[in-house]
Amino acid sequence: MEQLINDLKLQIKDALNLEDLSMEEFDENAPLFGEDGIGLDSIDVLEIIVLLEKNYGIRLANSKEGKAIFQSVKTIAEYVQANRKK
Amino acid sequence: MDIQVAGYGIICAIGNNASEVLCSLREERTGIGSMHYLQSSHKELPVGEVKLSDEEMKRMLGQDESTVISRTVLMGAIAVRQALEHANLDLKGKRITVISGTTVGGMDVTERHFKQMLDDDAMLPLLEKHDCGSSTREMADLAGLQDADVCTISTACSSALNAIILGSEMLQNGETDIVIAGGTEALSRFHLSGFNSLMILDKERCRPFDKTRAGLNLGEGAAFVVLTPPSISPTEGEKQEQGARGKEQEDTNCQNYPPAPCPLPLAPKESPIYIRGYGNRCDAFHQTASSEDGEGAFLAMSDALRMAGVKPQDILYINAHGTGTPNNDASESAAIRRVFGEHVPPVSSTKGFTGHTTSASGSIETVISILALQHNFIPVNLGWKEQDESCITPATRHGESVASSQLAIGEGQEGAILCNSFGFGGNDSALVIGRCPSPSACTEKSQNKVAVLADETIDDSEQLKDYREFISPGEARRMGKLMKAATITSLKALRKAGIECPDAIITATAYGMLETSEKFLIDMLENNEETLSPTLFMQSTHNTLSSAIAIRTKCHGYNVTYSQGAKSLEWALRDAHRLIKSGKAETVLVGCHDEATPSFQDLFRRLGKPIPPMLYSRSIVLCAEHEM
Repeated sequence: MEQLINDLKLQIKDALNLEDLSMEEFDENAPLFGEDGIGLDSIDVLEIIVLLEKNYGIRLANSKEGKAIFQSVKTIAEYVQANRKK
Repeated sequence: MDIQVAGYGIICAIGNNASEVLCSLREERTGIGSMHYLQSSHKELPVGEVKLSDEEMKRMLGQDESTVISRTVLMGAIAVRQALEHANLDLKGKRITVISGTTVGGMDVTERHFKQMLDDDAMLPLLEKHDCGSSTREMADLAGLQDADVCTISTACSSALNAIILGSEMLQNGETDIVIAGGTEALSRFHLSGFNSLMILDKERCRPFDKTRAGLNLGEGAAFVVLTPPSISPTEGEKQEQGARGKEQEDTNCQNYPPAPCPLPLAPKESPIYIRGYGNRCDAFHQTASSEDGEGAFLAMSDALRMAGVKPQDILYINAHGTGTPNNDASESAAIRRVFGEHVPPVSSTKGFTGHTTSASGSIETVISILALQHNFIPVNLGWKEQDESCITPATRHGESVASSQLAIGEGQEGAILCNSFGFGGNDSALVIGRCPSPSACTEKSQNKVAVLADETIDDSEQLKDYREFISPGEARRMGKLMKAATITSLKALRKAGIECPDAIITATAYGMLETSEKFLIDMLENNEETLSPTLFMQSTHNTLSSAIAIRTKCHGYNVTYSQGAKSLEWALRDAHRLIKSGKAETVLVGCHDEATPSFQDLFRRLGKPIPPMLYSRSIVLCAEHEM
């Protein structure tokens, strides 16, 4: 799980071009959206969906079903662990 | 305002000419179905294809089947030819301007041959057919208008409506004698997989304004209108005579088309149609989403009604943009409610018939609105079943008699139709057409002079190093070099001019953000249209720069993007001068932005053509200089 969280952080940082966010600052429990968290938006959700399909073979039909999954890196990691195809 | 529609042509999923389209509308036959002509791996997605192969269209235009011609060009040339035949004007000695709205341009050809172009010199000339401006030139030539001036507008899905607006402005100003304006857009793997990456395509047939709506279906097609100032419009007698001739021509034409299911005569019922008013505004909210209260749409519709000199209750029917996405339909409904209050006229989206024909939708739906006005009917909103509280209730028939769907003109009503067309980046436009011209409201011409307040250029990536003065890290993460350069030159020029928010933003670009488009194209070809980046796709539309600057400066004013090769800036400046001289704007930000990639430069080098610069961004602030 530790490894998966780390991989996801790197992949998200890379896909979303979050240059200014250091790995130390990137808290897996921090909310991904909104001012208090990482500050991502709806386009970022789509990019993360692409990333999950590319790297883990997970297909989400629409961005709404992802709402619970995309709360934090931790929740994404849990979902990936349970549903990954590769 | 008395610009007349002297003729029109249309080709889309529900018909290869106006009489077939009329027939499908009245008989409620959709043109959306499974994919037949587009060679995409996304066979699961329903589309609204024109029911002709490229080869069949080439034959109709008298072209050799082996010549490579973009489908965008083919459909456009067919619609322009129909429009010219329908108008039946004497073009000799007249200044003619062809204005087309497109975003795809020659992309359907490029995506088929890109890999060959990289290592086969024989395929290289296709590169010169790729950009929007070249495709418009080729279309005009194929339609027999080699001497006409051409211009391309690329504001994503509102492109064609903005082309009609520009044509009307030019005629009013006496800059040209006859305008052929509209838009054309072919389905391509590029934009189908791009829309797919944004997750806004419905795998079922689209259901605009319905509670269960889940996205749009892409369509394709072209439509053009011939616009004339009153002095050149044929007299009533001529029109009737030409009506009869027009019909004859149409019948002969039919040999080329599949037999029309029920060829309705167009001529007898035709009454003159006028462009009465229009509005072009920017939502200035988001690159791919509309604001909750539909501010841009509200402003565009309000402007159009004001200019048309009609009250909201004079509108007999609204042809909505109504794409079928949850976001668009709710936002548009909110805007319609803000304009019309408790008394919303019959509304329908005709995208359940045609699919969303993107850059061509504005003119396709203008022609549909003209047919509705001439033949006195309300096109139904196909696919709607269940009321959604956040949406207006569209016009449907549901077993009621045909008579109930007729346009109801009350006593003293003007009899006008409103047609909406909105695009990515919040490029929102609206058009009012009617059976009579607008009362000549503002004939007084202001004679403002134009002054240049600032002029800033960046032509080297080195100059982007200090971007943080203007761009936050959060913004920068999605910006390529051209977006950064355009943002910096725009903000610097505005600062120098002492202006926070200009009245209008006009942008010129031949290729848009080429770096992102190229990356998306290569990813698409390599990954068989799967797992593509939505960020890259949304930046591939030419109007991204113009709308990003509008979002940044919170500018809800006029916003347009010209894409006519090396002449783009000239068209943009002409527009800015027109706005200022006519008193419609005090301050205008004009930008000219283009970029290249190493592989793109290499293609031009091999072709022996001037090599485009890696980066060029220039922003100019113009303002009105009032005479004391």
